[in-house]
Amino acid sequence: MALPDLAKKPQRFTGGHRACAGCGFPITIKIILQAAENPVVVGCSTGCMEVTSTIYPYTAWECSFIHSAFENVAATISGVETAYRSLKKQGKIQEEITFIAFGGDGGTYDIGLQALSGAMERGHKMVYICYDNQGYMNTGIQRSSATPRGANTTTSPAGTHIPGKQQYPKDLTAIMAAHNIPYVAQSSMSHWNDLYRKAKKAFSADGPAFLNVLSTCRLGWATAPEDTVDVAEGAVQCKLWPLFEVEEGVWKLSFKPRQPLPVADWMKQQGRFKHLFRPENAELLTDIQREVDERWEKLLKRCGIENGGDKQG
Amino acid sequence: MAQSIGEQSMGLMKGNEAIAEAAIRAGCRAYFGYPITPQNEIPEYMAKHLPKVGGVFLQAESELAAINMVYGAGGAGVHVMTSSSSPGISLKQEGLSYIACAEVPCVVVNMMRSGPGLGGILPAQGDYFQATKGGGHGDYHLLVLAPSTIQEAVDLTYEAFDLARRYRNPVMILGDGLLGQMMESVTLPQPKAPLPKPPWATTGCGDGEPRVINSLYIQGDVMEERTKRIFAKYAKMKQNEIRFENYKTDGAKIILAAYGSTARIAKTAVDKARTRGIKVGLFRPISLYPFPYDELSEVATEAKAVLTVEMSMGQMVEDVRLAVEGRCPVRFYGRSGGIVPTPQEILQQIQAIWSHIA
Repeated sequence: MALPDLAKKPQRFTGGHRACAGCGFPITIKIILQAAENPVVVGCSTGCMEVTSTIYPYTAWECSFIHSAFENVAATISGVETAYRSLKKQGKIQEEITFIAFGGDGGTYDIGLQALSGAMERGHKMVYICYDNQGYMNTGIQRSSATPRGANTTTSPAGTHIPGKQQYPKDLTAIMAAHNIPYVAQSSMSHWNDLYRKAKKAFSADGPAFLNVLSTCRLGWATAPEDTVDVAEGAVQCKLWPLFEVEEGVWKLSFKPRQPLPVADWMKQQGRFKHLFRPENAELLTDIQREVDERWEKLLKRCGIENGGDKQG
Repeated sequence: MAQSIGEQSMGLMKGNEAIAEAAIRAGCRAYFGYPITPQNEIPEYMAKHLPKVGGVFLQAESELAAINMVYGAGGAGVHVMTSSSSPGISLKQEGLSYIACAEVPCVVVNMMRSGPGLGGILPAQGDYFQATKGGGHGDYHLLVLAPSTIQEAVDLTYEAFDLARRYRNPVMILGDGLLGQMMESVTLPQPKAPLPKPPWATTGCGDGEPRVINSLYIQGDVMEERTKRIFAKYAKMKQNEIRFENYKTDGAKIILAAYGSTARIAKTAVDKARTRGIKVGLFRPISLYPFPYDELSEVATEAKAVLTVEMSMGQMVEDVRLAVEGRCPVRFYGRSGGIVPTPQEILQQIQAIWSHIA
């Protein structure tokens, strides 16, 4: 898909919503929804996306939309998709419809993981999309299990006792791959072509599919609004957020930075990591780089790429 | 970001932060929570300040996890607390039922927001039934205290840990988004050391008898024994823990009944009505469970009408009716959806009633 063609496709998520200037998720949703050919039914877990796009009586969604609670968007869409299958079996509906569940990282990595796992295991034909902005941003920037180690949040405050969040994030995409569903992928809002291609694959998968998409939160990450796309790209370029897909159990790397940035370079762009550049936190920075490198090497192995450090993808 | 007033004993504080500080001063050493508006300043304050006194702040992956962490830490005899707001408190109900049956002391703060459903983040009082009538499954109650000022929230939170320990029962501080978000001047109590570990705490029995904390009783007679034991404590609470405030109720012909944030608005309405020569007073329950039935009954004896005002479609009004026992009409005025009633609105209600009875 060439960009001019993409721009001509109708928008299912329109402007006029109340997301912050420089927010990442509207870009993410627009690209994903443009990849859907059929009519879509969107479920949305509680979070910035739901709150800012559906303030009654207004909506930014040019499609069917349902919201229930924070923890159960995957269960809600399971119900909707089941009703659809029943209606289809009864001959009351013929049309092909695509079912999509959106959740943030809090609603997906944490409180919604149980419902998500259940939906994937049961095999509902849905695409679950996590827009991962690495924290509970809607409630005022609390840590989540997707928050990077060292990030300052209101519940992992960097101070004299701790230098920000103390744990490394959960590898949710690998957890979803372990469900052995037809399609799992990780992408970033900064790589629109990669995201569009993966969304297409997810929508055409014969069964459940899962996408984990990095989406900048300029408030939570403390970055300038105009840098939103660049910061997301930085996470990919420093190998902290690799782009890959797992198709029918086969792992494939989608993008390999030619000259990976040090993670510290990416962190320097964001206010939430500024304390890490104090001398007493030098060791932590080294450890974060080591963890990123280790995870990257593990990913390369899974993707069947040997001597990962030398080859270009 | 949470602001501490440090070692000072007086200062201007936000309701949520004042409650968190009062809990730390009361000896709270473990806090388990999960983000939800409008109470986020409580976990944020705890994250920042609890480690300074050797306490533990932990953000769980859900409210279900948080309340069960409370169960675990409370069982180990630690002064423990969690907080949330309406939808999150709903998710904690299963845990609270288990905790009440297992007799584990803990403090739960509910900064109510509008509902049902996801509702909104504006203040409301729609969780009265849930808080006072059980909430979760089975026969149990929480001890429920409803502050109407930040100072009172501080004082009740400070005391809640002792009450929880005394009755081995969860204590709920029932506030709302208004109380949580507003700022007032407060005087803070002196920090006290946590009470020593109780003899029932499951921290190892050594050579003594095994210690058991349990909520599973398969045999009917044993389970009945258990509920009777729990209800004997509620009988004691009814003797000792009834709290209320009478405001200008002497000789009042109209009694307003209101709790929490609504009561402070009702007070202003009472003052305005008094300047117009209307004989009206306010009865403010502070303990919602146990409810001050007899005390309300007493002030309502001489009254011609009772007007219950709530930020709900009418919940406490049912207890007010039980207290009044039909001796005079019980009217209701409520706003919901997060709308806070104005003194003027309440005054109009008072004037309408007064025009009938004067």
